[in-house]
Amino acid sequence: MPELPNPVDYAVPAFILLILLEMVWARRNAPEKYEPKDTLSSLSFGLGNSVVGLFAGGAIFASMLWVYQFRLATIPWTWWAWIACFVLDDLAYYWFHRTAHRVRWFWASHVNHHSSQHYNLSTALRQTWTGWLALSFIFRLPLMLVGFHPLMVAFCGGLNLIYQFWFHTEAIKRFPRWFEAVMNTPSHHRVHHATNPRYLDSNYAGVFIIWDRMFGSFVAEVDDEPIRYGIVKQLGTFNLLYSVFHEWIGIAKDVWNAPWKHKLSYMIREPGWSHDGSRDTSDTIKARWREREGLPVE
Amino acid sequence: MIWIDLAKLGASLIAIIGVAWLAGRMGLGGDLRIRDADHAKVLANEAIYGFEATEVALDRAGVGALLKDAQGNQMLLRRHGAAWVGRLLDPAMETRLDQGFLTISTGEPGAEKVTLNLGEAAQIWAAGMRRLVRA
Repeated sequence: MPELPNPVDYAVPAFILLILLEMVWARRNAPEKYEPKDTLSSLSFGLGNSVVGLFAGGAIFASMLWVYQFRLATIPWTWWAWIACFVLDDLAYYWFHRTAHRVRWFWASHVNHHSSQHYNLSTALRQTWTGWLALSFIFRLPLMLVGFHPLMVAFCGGLNLIYQFWFHTEAIKRFPRWFEAVMNTPSHHRVHHATNPRYLDSNYAGVFIIWDRMFGSFVAEVDDEPIRYGIVKQLGTFNLLYSVFHEWIGIAKDVWNAPWKHKLSYMIREPGWSHDGSRDTSDTIKARWREREGLPVE
Repeated sequence: MIWIDLAKLGASLIAIIGVAWLAGRMGLGGDLRIRDADHAKVLANEAIYGFEATEVALDRAGVGALLKDAQGNQMLLRRHGAAWVGRLLDPAMETRLDQGFLTISTGEPGAEKVTLNLGEAAQIWAAGMRRLVRA
């Protein structure tokens, strides 16, 4: 078993350099693409995520090792295993990510990545502090059960995260068709971060956009409709602690106030769900949009 | 090992503060303003999809607006950094009228009070908000 570093540690200087280059681009082309307070907030999310990782990372890795005991096979440390692990880890990421948008418990953690109204490279580092609380790592456990060593899975997860950094930008429009067909790109991921009704709940891919095409969640970027970024109900504050915990606070309040038979639903139903139908979900917003546009009901 | 981690965190913290400071020094963020009533209506519809404003009171500096739709719903539209945020007004929100200035507090954690310079329209909208409270 090789000794493997955390690849993200080595990528951080490149992250900072690329953010600086994008800031120069924004100054020349569109200064409103960056907002200093928003950038400070996003980067603070990233730092907090690293701090939490120091404490929770060990426990999560220990859980992965524990599950590895029950593996169906032992996959060797060979070149094809690395490729298979990377691809399957990306598939696991797709399902984690899709669930994180459709189940409020996981959304409460993942919403942190979406709560900026800007879409730039600093947004990529806007990472949750509460992924451990949401138990987001359970989506990777099947890989250990198949027989991939937890270290290999963790390393591939790091590479996946690094890949996801660069496409959080409006500075790049489109890549050649073959690349856009297979890989996740700035264009595809802009759609994912959009709050325009046509784009809600789409393009969950990490590295390979083929998962969205396979599982019916792909939506292409439309050139003549400007994208609005953030969440359906924008945060409206740069307060870091509130930004980190607001959805958890919302869940706690809703569960406390809800009738008994609805309490669980406020944790596991889609974000925006309410037992009296008084709030909007992405589905109701999309349905309203389709009606207004004269499109057939889905 | 812990010292290496602490050194990395320290360096990251310095880099974060440096990048944010530089973003400010470079003038990023711009100075967004609402141009006119039509612009406010577009922004309101973007903030809450489907909100079709029929009446608009625009802040004289263009940093916010109050809007009303045909159903009587009222929205506060305010600047947030280099973006816009909309909130439907509800009875829990505090308001204070001072001649042409209307101050609204949404009561949300972390959100500052918003003071709009609405001129003569301030009294009309303040009265409308009081009716909202009574309703």
